[in-house]
Amino acid sequence: MESPTPSDQAQSSDKPTSNVDQARKLLFRQMLIGVNDGRFFLGVFHCMDKQGNIILQDAVEYRSIRRSSPSPMEQHCLGLVLIPSSCRSSCHIDCSIEEQLSLLSVDK
Amino acid sequence: MAEGSEIEQTSMAESGTHVSTIPSGEGTVWVDVSSLLSSACNDLQEGELVHGGNFSLFAAMSALEIMDPKMDSGVKICGYNSVEEAIEKGAAPVPLSFEATTDVQCTIDVMDHLLACEATWHNGYSLARTVFSCIYLMKLERTSPHALLHSYCRIIRATCNAVVSVVSDARTHEEEDLFTMAYGLPLKGDGDEKCLLMLNAVEENISRQFRACKATLSKKGVSEDIKPLQTDLALEEGYCKALLCRIRFRKHFYHVLTSMRKPQGRGLELAKKHIASCLSELACIKKSVEFFSSNEYASCLDDIEDKTTASGRQPVGFDASLNSRLSAPIPQRAIKIFSWKKAVEYFEKLLHDLDVLCSFSLYPLLEDILPFVVKFQKLKPDLVARAHLQQLLVQDGKLYGRDLIFDVISRAAALPEIAKTHELLKNEYILQLGQLVINLLKILCANAAWQRRKLGKILQDWSVTVVQLELAFNKELGDISNVSVDEFTGLQNVFLKLSKRLLLWTEEQIFWIASRFLIMGFELELYSPSEYCMVYWFIYVILIKLSETAELKILTISDPVKRKGRKKREISKDPAKHPKISPSIMLLQCYIYLAEGLAMMLAALRNERNDFQTLSTLNTEEERFIQHFELLYKARVPDHISYSVFKESTVHVRFSTLVKYNYFSDAHRMAKELRSSFNNDPDRLVELRQIEQIAERNQVALNVICQVGVNDPSLKVSLAFSHHPCFAIAIVKRS
Repeated sequence: MESPTPSDQAQSSDKPTSNVDQARKLLFRQMLIGVNDGRFFLGVFHCMDKQGNIILQDAVEYRSIRRSSPSPMEQHCLGLVLIPSSCRSSCHIDCSIEEQLSLLSVDK
Repeated sequence: MAEGSEIEQTSMAESGTHVSTIPSGEGTVWVDVSSLLSSACNDLQEGELVHGGNFSLFAAMSALEIMDPKMDSGVKICGYNSVEEAIEKGAAPVPLSFEATTDVQCTIDVMDHLLACEATWHNGYSLARTVFSCIYLMKLERTSPHALLHSYCRIIRATCNAVVSVVSDARTHEEEDLFTMAYGLPLKGDGDEKCLLMLNAVEENISRQFRACKATLSKKGVSEDIKPLQTDLALEEGYCKALLCRIRFRKHFYHVLTSMRKPQGRGLELAKKHIASCLSELACIKKSVEFFSSNEYASCLDDIEDKTTASGRQPVGFDASLNSRLSAPIPQRAIKIFSWKKAVEYFEKLLHDLDVLCSFSLYPLLEDILPFVVKFQKLKPDLVARAHLQQLLVQDGKLYGRDLIFDVISRAAALPEIAKTHELLKNEYILQLGQLVINLLKILCANAAWQRRKLGKILQDWSVTVVQLELAFNKELGDISNVSVDEFTGLQNVFLKLSKRLLLWTEEQIFWIASRFLIMGFELELYSPSEYCMVYWFIYVILIKLSETAELKILTISDPVKRKGRKKREISKDPAKHPKISPSIMLLQCYIYLAEGLAMMLAALRNERNDFQTLSTLNTEEERFIQHFELLYKARVPDHISYSVFKESTVHVRFSTLVKYNYFSDAHRMAKELRSSFNNDPDRLVELRQIEQIAERNQVALNVICQVGVNDPSLKVSLAFSHHPCFAIAIVKRS
């Protein structure tokens, strides 16, 4: 893994850490990704590339049995999955309330 | 596209509720990180990744790609989320239409599409995505008010169950394990054993309607009490016929499957009758296309070539994506249901293959069974037919569920009668040998690729068993010498005879397996032209060994005294002078001449013309020799054979010497002489004719090369397998 280039660090000097470093801190944590056919994938954040394609480890697929909402969900274990950025509609990370605030502040 | 964006919108709108329904960790919440990730993406360099220390690009390659239709079995292609939802939305109505004629037509479409699905399933796709894409089958109880649909679906389910059962019992599914996967599918149901009764009742009813309709048409007497099948009198006869042949086909096909499974091949004769009926019903089903094309209810202007129904209409009540997730997380294959025409052709082929099996006369001799299986495999039977063959051959660890394997071996090896009572039979290695024979029979029923791999692997087991048997015999012989002198000679004689014959027979099997292994490499196109020389040379070596052991076996059985003083190789070199040599060994000799001739011709072409030379720089010829024959090498079949032996025997070959040893004309002459010995065997006669042609063509090629001049650059030599899948003919052209 290459470290961020000096220019990156210069650009983000006003922030405590760069976006890439922030994203890197999310590795190995539970991530919940929604895709645009309505399914969700819950798994361990394993990798992301520049295009925003994400690989989750030990992923579980959640899909609703009925179209109407709320609907019961069924699950399937899938293992290692690659979710292309083109079909990703939402992305959440599992974290404590305190962390939530700091993440949100970075977002802004 | 419009539908896609609609889905996107709904899911986006609903996503908030869904996130809350999927629990986060204890004391934690789900935080949206989309914008953080997208900013991180912007900041990432091209080719840079966010990943941890345990990341491996190689492992990441195996990730299941979501939304890729070939990998993601859960991808939602249709709008329904579950079978229940599909039913609620009216995807599979019962009845299919309130208008009687449309209802009948739609039912026929369902029947046809099911046939197409069934054929697709037999050809290696999952049951869940083919036959069980039928919503009516998934919820069979719903169809009970519709007797016709209900009984048809029930027999489909029972048939699938019977097929799954024969394939899983035969364990041929090791090669195609997708076939028997039926997890979560309602494959078994109460009352399926009565499916024939139900179907018979429905058939009876329709044939009455058919008779009534004919009576009305001919204005003979009209039986008022019979309600017609549908409302349009003009179409009544056609619809009755179309339904009857479809129903009868299912009935007979089910009978075929159950009769063929009867123990000891007792149901084969009955199965043969049902196969004949199946084929004639299939012919009627094919004919029904004409009726549909002239009928407004079935009217479909499209060409039915690619359609899954005889009418060309899209069937009601199917959705392949509904239970595709049952097969998750296995990457699914892209699937295309067979067209109806192709499905009918498939069933015709399957029935013909099964018919060949039913005509099998349950030979007691292994030497008849093995060629039958090899010949049957040439028909390229599909999994279902092969599973039936295996089930027929091996049942309960016995041949045909009837003959003990040791009896089969002792018949094949012509062991003395006393062998049956001999202590030796309890020897573990003899038991092992029996197991090897069973395994061999099963392997021969598998598909070509799997079969070849397994044949190569079991060679080692056979070789080890021979060594162990030999040791056990020697030990036993030592024990015998301890008994009193009078008993000694008698016992020793019997024992020697027994052990010798058994060992010879086992060796013969080993060489037979090895020859199959090599020959199948051609069928599977595993050899490149630059390797043909070594392959033919190896085939030649193995066939020589095979003929030697076979010959020795025959001689030991017939008259051991006469053999004295004769060398084995001499006999095989000129069998014409020894009319006692069996025709089967002479036939083998023909193949030996062909293999030797081809190996030498190819060697000469390489040595003198640089034809068929290895172009690959990746590995040497020796490495490829080892790659191809490693399994034979490991099993020491035959002993003392190595790359250097091959090199020695081919490196000095020249066209001038080739003409002296005329392998091809020897093969040709011998094949011709043999014809009279096989007068009553048409298969053998075809084989002999092939040999003659191959030998003749190659002889001509050799002569042309020699006449034109070996070094003539305008000569182009190529090989063709037009006469035999394994033995090539050389084609010489001048450019």
